[in-house]
Amino acid sequence: MKLKKWIQSLIFYEILLGMKETLKHFLKYRPITLEYPHVKKPLPENYRGMLGLLRYDDDTEKCVGCDLCEAACPSRVIRVVSAEVPGEPTKRFAKEYYMDMTRCLFCGLCVDACPVDALGMSQEFEWAVYDKRHLHLNKEQLLAIGDRAFPEREKRLEFQHPNVAYFNVSFKDIPEKEF
Amino acid sequence: MFDTSIKLALTLSQIGAVMGVVLLTVAILTLLERKVLSWMQDRMGPMEVGPYGVLQPVADGLKLFFKEDIIPAGANKIMFSLAPILVLVPALIGFAVIPFGPNWTIDVMGVEFKPFVISDINIGVLYILAFASIGAYGVILGGWASNSKYSLLGGLRSAAQLISYELNVGLAIVGVLLLAGSLSLVEITEAQAGGFWNWFAFDPVPFPQFIAFVIFLIASVAETNRLPFDLPEAESELVAGFFTEYSGMRFAFFFMAEYSNMILVSCMSTVLFFGGWHAPLPFLQAPGTFAWVTGIFWFTAKVYFFLFLFFWIRATLPRLRYDQLMRFGWKVLLPIALGNIVVTSLLAYIFPN
Repeated sequence: MKLKKWIQSLIFYEILLGMKETLKHFLKYRPITLEYPHVKKPLPENYRGMLGLLRYDDDTEKCVGCDLCEAACPSRVIRVVSAEVPGEPTKRFAKEYYMDMTRCLFCGLCVDACPVDALGMSQEFEWAVYDKRHLHLNKEQLLAIGDRAFPEREKRLEFQHPNVAYFNVSFKDIPEKEF
Repeated sequence: MFDTSIKLALTLSQIGAVMGVVLLTVAILTLLERKVLSWMQDRMGPMEVGPYGVLQPVADGLKLFFKEDIIPAGANKIMFSLAPILVLVPALIGFAVIPFGPNWTIDVMGVEFKPFVISDINIGVLYILAFASIGAYGVILGGWASNSKYSLLGGLRSAAQLISYELNVGLAIVGVLLLAGSLSLVEITEAQAGGFWNWFAFDPVPFPQFIAFVIFLIASVAETNRLPFDLPEAESELVAGFFTEYSGMRFAFFFMAEYSNMILVSCMSTVLFFGGWHAPLPFLQAPGTFAWVTGIFWFTAKVYFFLFLFFWIRATLPRLRYDQLMRFGWKVLLPIALGNIVVTSLLAYIFPN
């Protein structure tokens, strides 16, 4: 047994074994990497990517300016400035809506908190920018993200206000969401 | 006067051709190494520039050429500029004595001319070893002149490593020199004519130099600072070792020197142990005038095999620790090399050819 080990160390047996292994991979070349910018890995269905604000199918905003997302956010990413719909004192909308994505940790609590499903998490993740301030998003930018990430929009119910939605939870006959 | 100018023109064109081929091989090697290494590691390697990344060396060269050339504050400017030259020139100059093909002499307008070796000097092996040691000066100077701790450490390690392993390279060659009875690389190649059983690595009478070849290979891997002996530039420890502070073309000089050294060492092991341009079996050698075609083919094939071996070893083995390196060099390789010399000389005395 000792002699065998001695001979093995003399002819670099273990190194030869390792070299055999590398040669095997060299001859049966099957890469496990992807050419990233050209080929992308499929993301899971429930991937939590960039946040976006959604609209109804007639281009009205879903957000009712209730501030619940702001309250739910653990990182204080969101700032909502809520306002009355002009001429209709019972109805409100988000006049301004800001997100500081430098702080966001993509937990999805704001999406869960939203009573009208006005927020959505897209599959976008390539949001590297040269200037941090480009990650301070306003309402228009967030709506644009929502528009391009969710082309299939929810139908706005007929008895809702032409400009702004009510809390959807009060209606029993909302159709099931499909995204 | 006319003879001299003809000779000068012929030699210069020969030098130009050899330099061109060597530098082209360096360019190919930079790509080949990355490709082979990544294939062995289940990756793709460079794929962006050109189809399957074949134009990557061109892109690398352009990038290095147009990069800013920085000389760090506090660096010794003369030494800092001198070091890359001192590394690259010895690496390229060694090719002057390597025979690439048959040892023919052509008569060009009354001038004797050897087309396949630039200069057949009778101390060829010694010449290469001497210039290889001058390369070490460049490495140490580059490390010292950079005014950086990492560079200095890399340079010091490299000094110790090169001195230790040069000894083993020299001793491993002695067996071949005993058998060939000459220091001229051309004559060593001539002594191995015939089939592969006449190559010094396998020649059964008086003693096969295969052990010496393994020692030579290990020591030359260490001398060219390749993995697993790349302690002078250990990325994970010393940033990039002795050329940490270099950028642009100076960095490219170090890089080219490393690859030229690899080619030179592969050429040396081909010539010394594996019959140079001789075919492994006699019938694979074209007869008469066309012998040079097969000669150059076999020489290139052997050299590329050794270069592949360099990459193969790199993909397989992790880096040694510094004390392991020193112990291996002095306590393992040196005694075996000395023993090989003793056995070879005894057997060569008992069974003279």
